[in-house]
Amino acid sequence: MIKISNIQKTYDDGNIKVRALRGIDLEIKPGEFTAIVGPSGSGKTTLLNIIGGLDVPSAGSVLIGDTDIAKLTENELIDFRLNHIGFVFQSYNLIPVLTAKENVEFLMLLQKKSDEERDKRILKLLQAVGLEDQINKKPNEMSGGQQQRVAVARALASKPDFVLADEPTANLDSKSTANLLDIMLKLNEDENITFVFSTHDQRVIDRAKRVITVEDGKILKDELK
Amino acid sequence: MIVRIAFKNIWRNKLRSWTVIIATALGIFGGLAVISTATGLTDMRQNNAIRTYVSHIQIHDSAYLKYGGINDQLQNDQKIINGVSKIKQIKGVSSRLKVESFIQSAGGTSGLILNGINPNDEALVTDLHKKLQKGNYLETYKRKPPILISQRTAKKLNAKIKTSIQCSFTDSEGLPAAGVFKVVDIFQTSNSMYDDINAFVRIEDLKKISGLDESHEIAITVTNDNAVEQLKTNIEKMYPKVHVASWRGIAPELGYADKMMDLVMMIFLIIIMLALAFGIVNTMLMAVLERKKEIGMLISVGMNKRKVFWMIVWESIFLAFIAGPLGIVVSFVTIQFLGRHGIDLSFAAEGLRSVGLESTIFPSLNPTYYVIISVLVVTTAILSCLYPALKALKLNPAETLRTA
Repeated sequence: MIKISNIQKTYDDGNIKVRALRGIDLEIKPGEFTAIVGPSGSGKTTLLNIIGGLDVPSAGSVLIGDTDIAKLTENELIDFRLNHIGFVFQSYNLIPVLTAKENVEFLMLLQKKSDEERDKRILKLLQAVGLEDQINKKPNEMSGGQQQRVAVARALASKPDFVLADEPTANLDSKSTANLLDIMLKLNEDENITFVFSTHDQRVIDRAKRVITVEDGKILKDELK
Repeated sequence: MIVRIAFKNIWRNKLRSWTVIIATALGIFGGLAVISTATGLTDMRQNNAIRTYVSHIQIHDSAYLKYGGINDQLQNDQKIINGVSKIKQIKGVSSRLKVESFIQSAGGTSGLILNGINPNDEALVTDLHKKLQKGNYLETYKRKPPILISQRTAKKLNAKIKTSIQCSFTDSEGLPAAGVFKVVDIFQTSNSMYDDINAFVRIEDLKKISGLDESHEIAITVTNDNAVEQLKTNIEKMYPKVHVASWRGIAPELGYADKMMDLVMMIFLIIIMLALAFGIVNTMLMAVLERKKEIGMLISVGMNKRKVFWMIVWESIFLAFIAGPLGIVVSFVTIQFLGRHGIDLSFAAEGLRSVGLESTIFPSLNPTYYVIISVLVVTTAILSCLYPALKALKLNPAETLRTA
């Protein structure tokens, strides 16, 4: 369960103050498939970054389970992210020198998982995203859609409580987008994995089970489908 | 995993990595080549001086060093020679009678020191017998006593082998004395200044003409260079009334050259390490700035900053570990090869001889330098990547993912 209360975020560069979030309250339950939508500059990425512990709020609390991540130190936060949150980025951000298998394995190595456990999970995850035959390919040998599917597998490798995806389909064509959404929906339905997206891609919005619209740093609409 | 990623990371931009590796290796090679050549020069100058005129240890009467009088001879020199010869690690002992002389032939005149020597004993102390044109080491002669003069003196006197020359000096009574000698051979050492002022005759011939019956100088060589100072102390204890000096005391400039070379080597090492440091700082900084987004991603997904820091450090270490051995191996092979075959500088032979050097230089390097270089390369690599690594730690993941 993610529970955020009265989250505010102000960016201050000394000259100009920008209020990116103006008091957001939100609960996301396990197993949700939620899209945070809104125009550019609405605050959706900031909200996602705060939920993911990549950014700290100026005020308010972010409870993930029983942990208020706004109160964690930098190192505790990094550790928390490793063990509780999966990330999928707009431009995939795979490690270019590693193969698909190694990219997925990377987080489990950081978690010091055993060889056997790693091997089993890598195979399971790459099968789940339909890339079991691309296991030894490096990112530059794969298409954008394939890379993003590896990124999804990587996000799930550490068995996170939920996955945050920042505009995951922004760089994908229609076919790859549909394919990626199929995979994520299947993982959501079969394994009850929570996904939270920031997006303005209508194709994602159409398939999301909950759509939260953010505008000017506030929640404008929160619709359950 | 971190080490593996670091190793793979350095091959992302092969051209840049190889440029740094080759530049570093060349820097190491250049530095070691200069150091070994300079060491070879210093060693050669030192060895030449020892083997030509200084020897390892010399014994004089204290007054001879002070006044240089013809009568300031070593008392009971034979007793000293016999005593010193019994010491272990002594290779050769040669007594010399030295007389300042005016020398003239039909073709010219010159002033020099006439050295009375016992050829067999002298051969154990100096290389004079190897520097002769014909190899007649005061051995074969007829009526007139034999003399060895240098090529430069021969030129001055317009003399050659079989030329008769007259040597005039003051005898033990303070009276003018002269002897006519026949040039039996001509020598040329690697030190033209030495050649200008020395000639050699048999000690018994010089004793007869000068009326002297002892010697002025006992020159000693030892089997182990490192034992020189200890042996000098031992001889001093055995013969407290005479003056005993090692080559460092006799020709301090040779020791200073040694020390100066250490300083020069230190400066070269610092230059090499600075070049390496700048190369690594530049490369790693570029690597960090190019990968801001990726490093941001690594921190985002849970790689702690300690691991990010070590990843950058390992990348530098790998660069140094490839460049260092490469530079060291190339240097070692080159120095070994040139150390055996020499660097031919015969085009500058005359200039080199004027400072006591031969025209073929044999580079040499104390093996300790390879160890020092290896340690310094790794240390420099680690130190110089600290700035880029710290720069990477300061990256804000959210910001790098948004803006990079």
